Amino acid sequence: MTGAAHDLAARQAALVSALVAGGPLPPGFAAGPVEAARRALLRKRGGEVARHWPLLAAGLGADWPATFAGWAAGRPGNGSLRDGWDLARTLRERDALPPVAAEELALREAAARYDGRQAPRPRRLPAVGRAGGAVAVQLAGRVRLLRPAPR
Amino acid sequence: MTATGPAGLGIGWRPEIAGFVADLPGLRFVEVVAEALAAGGPLPDGLAALRGRGVTVVPHGVRLSLGGAEPVDPARVAHLARVAALVDAPLVSEHIAFVRAGGLEAGHLLPLPRTREAVAAVAANVRRARAELPVPIALEPIAALFDWPDDELDEADFLTEIIAATDAYLLLDVANVYANARNRGTDPLALLDRLPLERIAYAHVAGGAEQAGVYHDTHTDPVPAAVLELVGALCDRRRPPALLLERDGHYPPAAELRAELDALAAASGFPAVT
Repeated sequence: MTGAAHDLAARQAALVSALVAGGPLPPGFAAGPVEAARRALLRKRGGEVARHWPLLAAGLGADWPATFAGWAAGRPGNGSLRDGWDLARTLRERDALPPVAAEELALREAAARYDGRQAPRPRRLPAVGRAGGAVAVQLAGRVRLLRPAPR
Repeated sequence: MTATGPAGLGIGWRPEIAGFVADLPGLRFVEVVAEALAAGGPLPDGLAALRGRGVTVVPHGVRLSLGGAEPVDPARVAHLARVAALVDAPLVSEHIAFVRAGGLEAGHLLPLPRTREAVAAVAANVRRARAELPVPIALEPIAALFDWPDDELDEADFLTEIIAATDAYLLLDVANVYANARNRGTDPLALLDRLPLERIAYAHVAGGAEQAGVYHDTHTDPVPAAVLELVGALCDRRRPPALLLERDGHYPPAAELRAELDALAAASGFPAVT
C-alpha cells in the first residue's frame, strides 16, 4: 500500500477498534456521535444474535438488549452463531440461563462441537448436551431433548 | 439504466416476508442481500419462483467494504459475481462505506472521510470488483451517525467525484439522504439538486426512528412522512427508474406493509404493485 492508503487503513482500524473493541476514541472525532454509533452497532448485533438464538433472547425477554450489550461491549463479534453460543455458555456458568435458553443451548451442544475458537462443527458420534438442568442427546444426527430444564 | 434494469416499485426480498412478496401481483423488481445467498445455489424457493415470473432480482452486497483502505477481498467479489449470475441480475449494488479494518468486523456500514484519499480508495476497490463482476455496479451512500474530523469535500462533491471516478451507477437511498440532513442540520433538497440524478439506477426507501435526539435509519420502523415527501421531491426533479422499499425486521402485518408500498407508489407516481 502507498503511504496515503496506509494512513487511511490505520485510521479506519483505530475507528473500528473504538467502536467494537473498547479502543480509545481516535483524535478529532466527536465523542457523542461515535458513542451513538457504538450503541447502534450493539443493538444491531444483538438483533442478529437473537435471530440465531431465538430462545436465548426470548427467555431473557426485556432483559435481552441490556444483557447482550453488557456482554458484547468491547468484545469484537465472531458472527451471530458463535456470539450467541459464547454468551449462552457465560450465562450457563453463572446459572443465569432461563429454562428455554438452557434447552436451546443443550440441543446445540449435543448437535455440534464448538471449541470457542472455530466455527461449530456437526458431531458425528452420539453426544449429550447439558445446560441448566436440561439434557439433550444426539444419535445419528437426530437431536432431541431428553430432559427439559426445571421451571 | 438499460431497459433490462430494475423498473418500477420493488421491495427487499427477505425470507421472513417471502409469502407477502410472492403475493404482490404487480411486482417486477426485488433486491436480495447478496451474502444471504449460497453462491452455488439453489435459490430459496420464494426467490426462484419470482425469477420464474420474470421478476428482476438485484443482489445487494453489505460486506464488500468497498471503502476500506485495504484491497477488497477477492473471495467476496467472487461470491457477489456468482450470485449475480445465479439470479441473472442486470446489476449489483454495494455501499460507499467500510465494514472492517485491522482484522476487526464493525458489523455495520461505517462512513468514510470525505477526502480525495477516500475517493481513490473506493475507486481502486470498485475497479478491482468490476474486473470480476459480470454486470455493472451501483453504489449507495450510507446514513452516517458521525463524520470524520478532516472532511475536505461536502457530501454532493464527494459522491459526484466517486461516481465520476468509478463510472458506477448511483443507488440513492432517500431515507439516508433524509437521515444525514436531519442529523447534520443540512438541507436534503440542496443535496438532491447537486447529485448526478441521471446516474441513479434505482433508489431505496426505508423507515427509521429518533433515539436520544439522533435519527436512526433502522429499517425496522415505518417510513416517516418526511421521507415520503423527499421521495416526491426526488421524483419531481428526475424520477429514478425504480424505487425499492427496505424492511429488515419487526415486520408489520401484511396490510401495513401493503399500505406502505401504496404510499410509495403515490409519492413516486409508479403503478401500485399490491
